[in-house]
Amino acid sequence: MTPSQRAQVGKIVRTVLINGLAIIMAIPLYYIVINTFKTTLDMAKSPFGLPEHWSLQHYVDVFGTLPIVQSFINSIIVTVFAVFFEVMIGALAAYGMILRNSKFTAAVGAVLMIAFCIPVQATLIPLYKMEASVGLVDSLLGLIILYLANSIFCYMLTVGYMRKLPMEVLEAARIDGAGPFRIFRVIVLPMITPILATVVVFQTLSTWNDFMLPNIFLTSTDLRTVILQVYNAMGQFTTDWPAFMTITVIALVPVVIFFIFCQRWIVSGLVAGSVKG
Amino acid sequence: MSRHDQSQEVPAGAPSAGAPDAKTPWYKTGKFAESAASTGFLFPIIVVFLVLSAVPLVQTIYYSFTDFNGFQAHPNFVGLQNYQKVFTDPSLLVGLGFTVLFAVLTTLITTVLAIPLAVALNSKFYGRSFARSLFFFLGVPSLIVLGLVWQYILSPLKTGALNSVLISMGLKSVPWLSDSNLARGAVIFVAIWAAVGWHATLYLAYLQAVPKDLYEQASVDGANGFQQFIHITLPQLVPGIVVSTFLLITNGLKVYDLPFGMTKGGPGYATNTITQAIIVQGISQSQYGLGSALAVLFTIACMIVVLGQQLLTGIITRRFA
Repeated sequence: MTPSQRAQVGKIVRTVLINGLAIIMAIPLYYIVINTFKTTLDMAKSPFGLPEHWSLQHYVDVFGTLPIVQSFINSIIVTVFAVFFEVMIGALAAYGMILRNSKFTAAVGAVLMIAFCIPVQATLIPLYKMEASVGLVDSLLGLIILYLANSIFCYMLTVGYMRKLPMEVLEAARIDGAGPFRIFRVIVLPMITPILATVVVFQTLSTWNDFMLPNIFLTSTDLRTVILQVYNAMGQFTTDWPAFMTITVIALVPVVIFFIFCQRWIVSGLVAGSVKG
Repeated sequence: MSRHDQSQEVPAGAPSAGAPDAKTPWYKTGKFAESAASTGFLFPIIVVFLVLSAVPLVQTIYYSFTDFNGFQAHPNFVGLQNYQKVFTDPSLLVGLGFTVLFAVLTTLITTVLAIPLAVALNSKFYGRSFARSLFFFLGVPSLIVLGLVWQYILSPLKTGALNSVLISMGLKSVPWLSDSNLARGAVIFVAIWAAVGWHATLYLAYLQAVPKDLYEQASVDGANGFQQFIHITLPQLVPGIVVSTFLLITNGLKVYDLPFGMTKGGPGYATNTITQAIIVQGISQSQYGLGSALAVLFTIACMIVVLGQQLLTGIITRRFA
């Protein structure tokens, strides 16, 4: 065998092995998708086989019995508002830090660094009491406020990027008479778009996927987020497995679409987010 | 918090009086307008920090020394009694033990599997972007949803997906999630299944930054694939390993969704976690004192891990820089 032939054989062997492993890893996903098209009886007979008769009945049933559309609206409201304010608060703070070098900014920077290491579990009980005392438990607003704690993470990611901005450009704008907020809006924001995209994509995923806070803070059925709806469906459909699989698939569809379009930024967030504690 | 509140913090007449000093950059002069603006921009995050982090943390520490149950006007000071209870209550100890076991095992096994996977995904083969995306995707959905799916697959019933396959092959059904040790193993297995592609993607980013000529030189010198892996790839991956293991261990300590989705912490307390214990004791059962003591211990543990990570990063970057 010539070296080039050997390389070709190696490539084919790797193709088979790696793709084979990928397919084995994906079996659970195949399992839940394929069973949504089967009857309960069909599923019990052959859990991993193809359906005898393809049916969309479970999708019709699930949309008929569960307020899924409402859950999607709730998840979208919480995610959009929480991520928008987290990112804005974080970016504004990062800008405030680079505007000035003083004992005050140094102290704020150090405090935020420590706050960054405090896990949400440490503050959960007082936060619950606090929100209960002002009537914010069981409201989407209360949930959004809790997520604002993540703006410290957004700040940490943004400030590192902002320190590398060419200060001469900001200075030129100031000489031209632009105020600090105008400079932020017109010059700084466009220049930090790459890191903002990364932060937004990363925060969108973690907010959309969160289960702990909605499960603790939301009790009304009409306020449930998509993830909470899936969890509650498990109790409701104990014996009707295909119905449970169906709501799971419905909940995963937006995540798949988001993944396909934003994979690049998730990877960059993964690398940048390395500082996340 | 609304958009309106934020815009009010920005001083309107920000353009400052006086010509800019040619020598000192404007952003370091500390002129009043910039100072006010800087403070204004920092104001929202300071409010967030005080309301959502600092004040609750102080309260947690205070509650942990009291018998507060949410109803007394004046909770009694009980000293270290709550902390003593954490270390004597069997259900809490099991939860503590499982959380540490989970964090350590997922970190070790995921790392050992993710590095070779990243090397494989970095080599040339057909369907590369498909395989990369598929492995990576498993880390993207919510862990509670993946946990619930696996709960169906590993159902101890004879009709459970895996068991029905075993039975059709003439084997006996296995009590996957109803046996303590099997349940622990299953939860850790699923966590690794979900995390390995995610962390391989992280390593892949570091691998792609390794200069190609290092490998070419090594080939010329006669190093085989394994030697190249040990002497070139691994040292180049050290910063990636620091980052990845740090994420794994902190996420492992904070674990809650996945075991809760698969087993609700059972059977018994076999897969109970610290986070679940904080939520159950502190919020569901209103034992604020006990829950807070757990939370304080948990925070200290997380801080130690973060500090250890910082030290380690410092040592390693000096060693390999």
